[in-house]
Amino acid sequence: MSETLSGAHILCQSLVDAGVEVLFGYPGGAIMPFYHALPEYPRLRHILVRHEQAAAHAADGYARASGRVGVCVATSGPGATNLVTGLATAHMDSSPVVAITGQVSRPMIGRDAFQETDIVGITLPITKQSYLVQDAAELADVVREAIAVAQHGRPGPVLIDVPKDVQNQKVEFAPSVGAQHAPPLHAAPDDAIRRAADLIAAAKRPLLMVGHGVILANAYAEVRALAEKTGMPVITTLLGISAFPEGHPLHLGMPGMHGEVHVNRAIQRADVIVGIGLRFDDRVTGNLAAFAPRAQVVHIDLDRAEIGRNVPVAVGIIGDARTVTGQLVAATAARNCDAWRGEIEGCRRPPDASFRGGMSPEAILTAISDATDGTCTIVTDVGQHQMWVAKLFPYRRPNTHITSGGLGTMGFAVPAAMGVHLARPGEPVWAISGDGGFQMNMAEMATMVQEGLTVKLAVFNNGYLGMVRQWQQFFHGKRYSCTPIWSPDYVKLAAAYGIPGYRVQEASELADVVGRANAHPGPALVEFVIEQEANVFPMIPPGGSLSEPIEAAV
Amino acid sequence: MTASHTVNVVLDDALLTLNRAVGVLRRRNIAVAGLAVRPCGPAGVSRMTFVLNTDAATADRVVQQFHKIAGVRDVEVTTTQDPPNEEQP
Repeated sequence: MSETLSGAHILCQSLVDAGVEVLFGYPGGAIMPFYHALPEYPRLRHILVRHEQAAAHAADGYARASGRVGVCVATSGPGATNLVTGLATAHMDSSPVVAITGQVSRPMIGRDAFQETDIVGITLPITKQSYLVQDAAELADVVREAIAVAQHGRPGPVLIDVPKDVQNQKVEFAPSVGAQHAPPLHAAPDDAIRRAADLIAAAKRPLLMVGHGVILANAYAEVRALAEKTGMPVITTLLGISAFPEGHPLHLGMPGMHGEVHVNRAIQRADVIVGIGLRFDDRVTGNLAAFAPRAQVVHIDLDRAEIGRNVPVAVGIIGDARTVTGQLVAATAARNCDAWRGEIEGCRRPPDASFRGGMSPEAILTAISDATDGTCTIVTDVGQHQMWVAKLFPYRRPNTHITSGGLGTMGFAVPAAMGVHLARPGEPVWAISGDGGFQMNMAEMATMVQEGLTVKLAVFNNGYLGMVRQWQQFFHGKRYSCTPIWSPDYVKLAAAYGIPGYRVQEASELADVVGRANAHPGPALVEFVIEQEANVFPMIPPGGSLSEPIEAAV
Repeated sequence: MTASHTVNVVLDDALLTLNRAVGVLRRRNIAVAGLAVRPCGPAGVSRMTFVLNTDAATADRVVQQFHKIAGVRDVEVTTTQDPPNEEQP
């Protein structure tokens, strides 16, 4: 039996019907009918952020950690525009986020009304789909479709813009009952699998490169089976980290701009590269013309537009990473690549001396790993600390490394970690930031306190915007223009928010302080005072070849 | 090598879909010679036709992007003429 409901109630009911449990948002004029209805739907937990950007990042973090859609809510105008960076981040990293924005009432649209902005137009290039809802009777279908579009195929953000009068409009409500029309996970054609298997069988120096698609498709077991059956060494891209066990004898590490020398050398010497769920972006390939000059590439991706976009392919396979990799496992013959692995291992260097001992990144990350028995999810920001974590953290569980890869969004870690915590309650979550990125969204400490979100905040403080300073050192004649950055007293700041705060300056304190922060039943902040001018080595200069790393400061 | 590629995109007759389709060209700053949109077949379906003067690889990358737009039903490309004379007066 149908009932008469307002658009705002239909919005809430449709989210409940879709299984949504958490919303990250911030109220305002044009979204007030929605917030008026919200308390009638206790199934929807609302997290009041301190800035809408944080709502989008938190929804993104929730989505990445849970594999389900993350939902954020904002009002029209500035509320909506504040979501933009978060939506762009989710778009670049294929994260299923649904943003619901209030809009001015229909008769006011196009009149430059108070807090009116064309958010659908603004976000067109950074959303997978968007809706400007014209009638409350459409809302149930729009919400169902938006959630399906965000999740199916290659995931991405979807925006639903709802005028205030549509939220107030009362219509007969009937739940949307259409099929979720999930696209079937097509298997790859046999001949493509055969050609890929033949290439692997004939290769002397094959490599397996895995990216975010493996995590999105939950293809860990298949990728591991393929690697172990064929003996192919495995490279994990920045967003592919934790898709393959660190410490596995076949695991090489991360490629690209800050990839280890042996990893990039392996790429340059490989005769076959099997890429699964990655897009060969410029931070991975360096100079495309010089990338993997001897390799024939087998590229498996769900998005046909990625096949051959950056790197020419010998075999392109459009399909779900789990399904296709499973087919490849069945089609390949068991072999080993011991000689090739020996060649690669011969190029392996010990981590740069600056990474070890004292208050080094390795020492700090080891302390965090030890305090959490290696089980924590690490959410990183962008910059030097992000690369140290990517290179050094000993990940033991799949999908426990969450970072802004494609867009490289500073300020991501702190709010995204709130979403990760809500997706994985009871599990340790550490947000690791530099002193620059932390200050971008540190107001979210208030959200954590108000909402009871147990996130541990690590600030790597070197007094610089470190990665930019490193580029200035290498490529701009050491002119440290606008990169020294002052920080507040983080211990006192934490105290102002009513949470424990610690400053670690001596390595001898690391284990004790990290352990105490981790054991505290709520958010806690640890500032790590690190070497001011430490660099991330090795480094491929921008536009340079993977064959020409910078391995020491000049 | 530059050539003329006539691209036919069959898509939902919805402003947002058209806007996304044009955005693919705008974002990449691809020169378009001629752009026409007209009803096509059943109600609610349009055909967008335009000519790209570009190399085959770029044309292919553009076409792949159209396939990703929700509401795009089909994309066809025909290379219609030899490379234009690139000499400028």
